[in-house]
Amino acid sequence: MREVVCGLFAACMSLSIGMFQELRGQSGGADANTVKEEVRFDTERMSLWSLKPVVAPQIGERTPGLLRALEFGGGVEPIDALVEADEFELRGLSKPQLLQRLTLDLIGLRATVEEVNAFLADDSIGAYERQVDRLLGDPRFGEHWARMWLDVVRYSDSNGFDWDEFRKEAWRYRDFVVAAFNDDLPFDTFMTWQLAGDELAGEALVRGGPASRLERDQLIATGYMRLGPYDNAAKLFNEQDRARVELLADLTETTGSAFLGLTFSCCRCHDHKTDPLTQVDHYRFRAFFAATEFADALSLSVPGGSDEAVGEAAPAERQVGLLMSDKVDGVEAIRVFKQGDHRYAMEEVTVGFPSVLGEPEVVLEVPVHGKTTGRRLALAKWIADPANPWTARVYVNRVWQQLFGRGIVSTPNDFGITGGLPETQGLLDHLASEFVGHGWSTKGLVRRIVQSVEYRRAGSAHRVVRRLSAEQLRDVLLQVTGLLNQRMGGPAVWPEVDQDVLRANPAVLDDNETKTKGWYPSPKSDQTVRSLYLIQKRTIRLPWMETFDLPENTVSCGMRAVSIVPSQALAVMNNEWVCEGAEGLADRVGTIRELYQEIFGREPSGAEKELCKTYMQQRTLRELALVLLNTNELAFVP
Amino acid sequence: MSFRELYEACELTVATQELAEEMDQTSAAAIESSGSSSVRRAFLRSLGGGFGALACDALASRWQVAGGLLGGGAYGSPIEGIDPMRPMAVRKGDFAAKAKSVIFLFMVGGPSQIDTFDYKPQLQKLDGKVVPEALRRALEGTKHANVFHGCDDYLLGSPFKFQQYGQTGMWVSELMPHTAKVVDDLCFVHSMQADSNNHAPASYQMHTGDIRAGKASLGSWVTYGLGSESEELPGYVVLFDAGPLGGAANYTNGFLPPAFQPTRFRSTTPPLFHLSPMSGFVQGQRDSLDLLSKLNGMHLSQVRAESGKTVGEFEARIATYELAYRMQSSAMRVADLESEPAHIHALYGLDDPEERTQSFSRKCLLARRLVENGVRFVQLYDMPDKDGWDAHAKLVENHAPRARWTDKGVAGLITDLKQRGLLDSTLVIWASEFGRTPMKQGDMGRQHNSAGFTIWMAGGGIRPGVRLGATDEIGLMAVERPVEFRDLHATILTCLGLDYEWLSYEVSGREERITGVAGTAKPLAEVLL
Repeated sequence: MREVVCGLFAACMSLSIGMFQELRGQSGGADANTVKEEVRFDTERMSLWSLKPVVAPQIGERTPGLLRALEFGGGVEPIDALVEADEFELRGLSKPQLLQRLTLDLIGLRATVEEVNAFLADDSIGAYERQVDRLLGDPRFGEHWARMWLDVVRYSDSNGFDWDEFRKEAWRYRDFVVAAFNDDLPFDTFMTWQLAGDELAGEALVRGGPASRLERDQLIATGYMRLGPYDNAAKLFNEQDRARVELLADLTETTGSAFLGLTFSCCRCHDHKTDPLTQVDHYRFRAFFAATEFADALSLSVPGGSDEAVGEAAPAERQVGLLMSDKVDGVEAIRVFKQGDHRYAMEEVTVGFPSVLGEPEVVLEVPVHGKTTGRRLALAKWIADPANPWTARVYVNRVWQQLFGRGIVSTPNDFGITGGLPETQGLLDHLASEFVGHGWSTKGLVRRIVQSVEYRRAGSAHRVVRRLSAEQLRDVLLQVTGLLNQRMGGPAVWPEVDQDVLRANPAVLDDNETKTKGWYPSPKSDQTVRSLYLIQKRTIRLPWMETFDLPENTVSCGMRAVSIVPSQALAVMNNEWVCEGAEGLADRVGTIRELYQEIFGREPSGAEKELCKTYMQQRTLRELALVLLNTNELAFVP
Repeated sequence: MSFRELYEACELTVATQELAEEMDQTSAAAIESSGSSSVRRAFLRSLGGGFGALACDALASRWQVAGGLLGGGAYGSPIEGIDPMRPMAVRKGDFAAKAKSVIFLFMVGGPSQIDTFDYKPQLQKLDGKVVPEALRRALEGTKHANVFHGCDDYLLGSPFKFQQYGQTGMWVSELMPHTAKVVDDLCFVHSMQADSNNHAPASYQMHTGDIRAGKASLGSWVTYGLGSESEELPGYVVLFDAGPLGGAANYTNGFLPPAFQPTRFRSTTPPLFHLSPMSGFVQGQRDSLDLLSKLNGMHLSQVRAESGKTVGEFEARIATYELAYRMQSSAMRVADLESEPAHIHALYGLDDPEERTQSFSRKCLLARRLVENGVRFVQLYDMPDKDGWDAHAKLVENHAPRARWTDKGVAGLITDLKQRGLLDSTLVIWASEFGRTPMKQGDMGRQHNSAGFTIWMAGGGIRPGVRLGATDEIGLMAVERPVEFRDLHATILTCLGLDYEWLSYEVSGREERITGVAGTAKPLAEVLL
């Protein structure tokens, strides 16, 4: 099996068309034709680990890790041969705890008591693997994993700045991401559509609208380029140039962080202080986006009404999106800016990949439809090249981090010199090459990781204690109290919030005719949907979510910082909807045992039962429910 | 962490301590270029979660912060060096602090400098005339040229009368009769400049040092650097009826860890969201917390037994419930303005017949009570609703009421802080995102002016009775000692005993500072005590 995979990977590598030749030259597979004319970067910069090609380690059958894993009773996952052993006793989680961990990690919610009991009752071989398959097939998988990606691409439903206009169509991009995870859209395709879906769906551009669901998704994916902040008021003060420059800078920097782990923000003003990236590299990369323009007028309706998108109120209506495409005539010249200040333009540059790779030639193929320039497609092809040393590593690291709480590289958006070193490079490279070799399948990658013994152990040196994210905690509190509305997709849901909160941005008090500046609460029954669907404005943040560390959505967020502060205790303990949930649940169940089953998916222990009974001599079951909703057991991933 | 790494880290700890002592005697700038920071960087990066906090306790407190910034992007804990379990614990500054706390009074929308504190007799003479050619050309040659965009060429003299006040003879317009009385305690900077002439970007820059959203606000930086004196109150508090233009992105923690996010105190009861238990859960709260603590304790020992690990996060979360319990009463107590005597109410204007005056005055009084109780940073906005000082038309109708609503509270705050001996340790700043043009716009209005405007500071570490910088003869552009926001931020941090070059945080390979990455900020030495 192993050889087959490695062989496949080698085949992929040989297919890539010379773009990473120089890189391979460095690794020893010298190519006589590649001779560097000049030394661009010093040895220290060139020693950057992530520049070197991905080399999957050879794994023998008798490595200690695998033997340990076999003893443990797991299947044979090469991961277990690659993680470093630690001094802690090898011990697995109890079955109920393991299922809770897996369920929280895969679909973002808790396993119900029925699911736990079914797993407990299944003693047959492959019981755990069947749970993994069940959860990977659950549509809530996409909802949970989409959140990871939305953080990375700075998703927001509004423009930011003074007016912070609501982006009515941003949700289509969010739903595309959910569907992409559920359909296991290969990551190289997923990435390509976001950068250049419109270039692929060129016929749709000619026609003025998509002819198929495929074209439609390709267009919607370009919303990626529209998610950054945009100062719509700048033109009033003759500062529209600044707004445009910031848009291009955002695309350069976000694309660098999200797909490549490269920190292009540093070299906007000067050559990178530590990494092999020059200021010119920044602007050449920026030039890939030079022709972009908003394409919101494009129709998204698929003729024949074969629209299966969820949440569409009136499919007959002409639908539009939040889209980006090219303006092919008079493409903006990209110049290097002195100190990054657009008012001081210097020499003009054209598209180019980072010069550390020996300035591989960019071959621009202008698509036959003539509606786009081919620039972004060239960029996407380069990023998706299996020999690109960053793309797969950066992505598999994100997935690992999602499951263990920290990445193999601790700085997910920075694979440069100032970023972290991989804790175990063999593991990272193994995962990266398997990922590419198996067709960039996210589900395959997740499956490999969660089936490892390392993932299933109680305490692992690789795992950090994780409090549930803001979204997860809200969803779980709603889920266990029976309040969660599990409807999927559709336009953003606006919670009812205190007027006082809305006044954070006074623009809300001054709505406009197109209804993009105000606040428009959704029907109450909709307000208990999963947190993924809640409106995310840039200048008014939902206080509860913010209390639980919702990140700033202005730039790419690769890892959420977590705080544990008293205001969080208040936000659960004294919270109206949590208390309502506690009351409803207590009234519905009636016993301590049932409360435990509903909230934790397990029976109370003898000691717990005793404590609760004593408490109940003075207090009510409703109050007990609230206590249980505040416990650490519910607030952390087991 | 392996034992070998542990050993190496300990060795470096010693090296770093020596380095720290050495650094105290040299300038930070010299160290920055010496390369020794990479030693510390390597050391701090090698620290993982819990151990990071432990090892760093051994270091001088200052270097904990600096280290955390340099180390950045740690795993396990969001910042190393600052105890993630007690992020608001008090930390020492780099040098002796003059100010312990800050009250930042932000006048939203751009009050006009030439109608308040920047008296221009020449402008009065030129009322109705075109902008003198030399002054026009001088501005057009700068990056502030777009200040001319959208307004008339004709000058509009100030409709307000000016008079000199106090021993220093400062000019103040009739808009601010109460502030005029405390003018000797204030230090004016007449030559501020912003990098954008639009509200949100300029406002972001005033708060965070950058015209783009997403950066960290001054209040977050300060609590990040110093922690806070009170555990039972938030360290960084925001007060407003309506927020600044550009919204929450102004006062957010941005890329700094969420422990340094602001907490909004409201002027109504309860002052914090979720501060009081819901009905049906009030009586039993103490019993409930006791049960919660026991259940969490059992859970903790079980996890410990299973994983062989101590779990700091679990313990920290248990502790927050007790702290939250105490916060319920301490926040109510601090917000209880009715406990203040009548003469204090009168001093601030709480007894004023106008509701908007009362509302702003209450915030000023609350600000004093907050800093008195150990809160580090109070960010206070005067915005009554959707209209700030943004007088594109009808300057008089806009500015006169806004001045009336705020003047008493501001002056009362200065007077009260002074009489309590708190002004020495509290830095008060009065500022906005920009000022307004001497040119007329529309119906007797004024356009935004980022090329030259006035702010003032008072108290903690600032020389009173000083005027720094000047605009040209019509108040259009700063011509003498232009001051950028980064210089103002450097000044404020210096008053607090923080080294503005050291107070940084690593974001995607960049050492972010509120004063910018270029290292060009300079504190206003002339105004520092």
